[in-house]
Amino acid sequence: MIDTIFIGLSLGSVLLLVALGLAITYGAMGVINMAHGEMVMIGAYTAVLTSLYLGFGLIAAMPVAFLVTALLGLAIEKLVVRRLYGRLLDTLLATWGVAILIQQAVRLSFGLAFFGITVAGLGPGLQNVSLPEWLGGTFSLAGSQISVYRSFIILVSVALAALTWGLMYRTSFGMQLRAIMRNPQMAAACGIDTARINALAFAYGSGLAGVAGVLMAGFKTVFPDMGTPMVVDGFLVVVMGGVGSLIGSILSSAILGQINGLTAAVSNDIIARAIVFAVVIAVIIWRPKGLFSYKGR
Amino acid sequence: MKLSKRGLNTAAYVVFIALILAAPLVFDVFWLNRLSKYLVFGMLGAAIALSWGYAGVLNLGQGLFFGLGAYAIAMSLKLASATSLAQGSDTPIPDFMLWNAEPGAPTELCCITQGSFLWIPFQHTWFGILMGIVLPVVVALALGLIMFRKRISGVFISIITLAVVLLVRLLIVQAQPLTNGFNGLTDLGYLTVLGLEFDPYMPQTYYLIAISLALVLIGTRMLVETRSGLILQAIRDDDRRARFLGFDVPRYQAFFFCVSAAISGYAGMLYVMASEFASPTFMDLSFSITMVVWAAVGGRNSVLGACIGALLINMIEATVSETPALMEAWRVVIGLAFVFAVLFLPRGLAGLAMSLRDWLVARSAAEPRSLAEPAPAEERS
Repeated sequence: MIDTIFIGLSLGSVLLLVALGLAITYGAMGVINMAHGEMVMIGAYTAVLTSLYLGFGLIAAMPVAFLVTALLGLAIEKLVVRRLYGRLLDTLLATWGVAILIQQAVRLSFGLAFFGITVAGLGPGLQNVSLPEWLGGTFSLAGSQISVYRSFIILVSVALAALTWGLMYRTSFGMQLRAIMRNPQMAAACGIDTARINALAFAYGSGLAGVAGVLMAGFKTVFPDMGTPMVVDGFLVVVMGGVGSLIGSILSSAILGQINGLTAAVSNDIIARAIVFAVVIAVIIWRPKGLFSYKGR
Repeated sequence: MKLSKRGLNTAAYVVFIALILAAPLVFDVFWLNRLSKYLVFGMLGAAIALSWGYAGVLNLGQGLFFGLGAYAIAMSLKLASATSLAQGSDTPIPDFMLWNAEPGAPTELCCITQGSFLWIPFQHTWFGILMGIVLPVVVALALGLIMFRKRISGVFISIITLAVVLLVRLLIVQAQPLTNGFNGLTDLGYLTVLGLEFDPYMPQTYYLIAISLALVLIGTRMLVETRSGLILQAIRDDDRRARFLGFDVPRYQAFFFCVSAAISGYAGMLYVMASEFASPTFMDLSFSITMVVWAAVGGRNSVLGACIGALLINMIEATVSETPALMEAWRVVIGLAFVFAVLFLPRGLAGLAMSLRDWLVARSAAEPRSLAEPAPAEERS
């Protein structure tokens, strides 16, 4: 029983890392970033490439992945998203195009494939990252075997969630960001540089997704299309938790992770995903604002 | 001669319909079959334009209705195929049900696998055809009434429809003994109506699809110009005001949601006739979003534009997909085209055509004697 709950917790924590970034970009900027899943993918590929060429382990890959995806996110914000503020559904479509571009960039090894050059670690195939020894294996807790790596994922997610909370509620950047979430025009009128804060928040959210990608690379195969299901799951978490609510995203990713883990234990993965979708649909229909929305204007 | 906007619009429709009806004169059988599939996609584009452009409802799960229509008729056609008839039973049995049956299960549609009795009415082809429309409409009605009564709008509708299509897709994959899971329904028979057999590589199938598309285009266009269509657009622009004016907003939205679903279900049926399979990939997220891409590039506010967008993109894709390297590059082009269309051409190709049309109208008004010339083939609204 404990191991099932643990699996649910670890599923929930990866979901959370993906959703945190979305919660910030969607909540603050009203941007639906369909390329967010591709940030997860790029993060996973960073883990693959750094271990292949630089001999980095998973831990060392995390800051690299954060940096790479944050910069990529910044570029996307400057080039595409910035022009689309206030056009919510258009951001969804444009970033879907961006997502295709990023996928193709990986699949074609950034265009080198056209010249017959193949780069190990890129291309359309599947990639793997091997876990360091101390992260593999299991330990026993109250008579159940718990995977060390799953506990590691939970720890990293909790740490990053705490960091995000601190950033949002204990720094001047966070205060400005929360002001933008509540009312962008008013925030701008009070002298907040909304363009700059938005760009930084977008980069930070993308960076979190990159770290989630590194963590995923540890227990899943890495391939160019891996991001699409992630962004869908991330959105379901954010919408169910309530747009703009950090605590909502945390709780709803925990709930969905548990539902997924428990159902998968008694039936199979397909049924588990179906039930997750059904729960989210029911919640959105019941409370379109989400479980934990604050009263905005 | 004086040009009017209305006249040029009508001319665009006439030219387009004449072109698709004349296509069999130019294309060989192979391309005609391909073209007929793209016309089906064009129909989907029109359905998206109706719900997105005119109702303001961005449905990211249009593939659900397409897939339901496709599966409904594919079940009938599966039962009509030669292999289903030759399974040693009085009634046809789909071959995959035998592979999935429990040992010792009777070879009867009633009870060979769990739930296989649901297939019984599909032995009558008309039932499959009927269900191909009824099923999507019923689902759309239920979904629409719930969503619109709760005043759910904008992106939340997109998320719900997206989750619903993924949910149904998972259920279909899961119900392997009933639906053949991932593999979908293949090896279908031909549809035979009143002694006329619709072989996908025969001109009659193409004409059926082309005429259907023409009727759908004209019907949709006329529908959005009715009073209800105008009210729908008013709701899109300001639903609160429409509500205060006393209109039953959810009813209008649900009705047009159903019309869009019916068109998609019908398109699903036609697609099965042209391609001879139905598969869960119809309900993939990427397919549903691709439909939206077609409409966005063609012009979300224009029924004909969205249809032409779907046709154009698929025709180009078919031409370049002959070489694998180009195929991968083509996806880059699609990604770029999409970003640029959203950024710089939010009204799509139809927006360009409309600007051209307005310019022509203005010019003919200024110079009464100038000759009327129809808009070029690719750019019509």
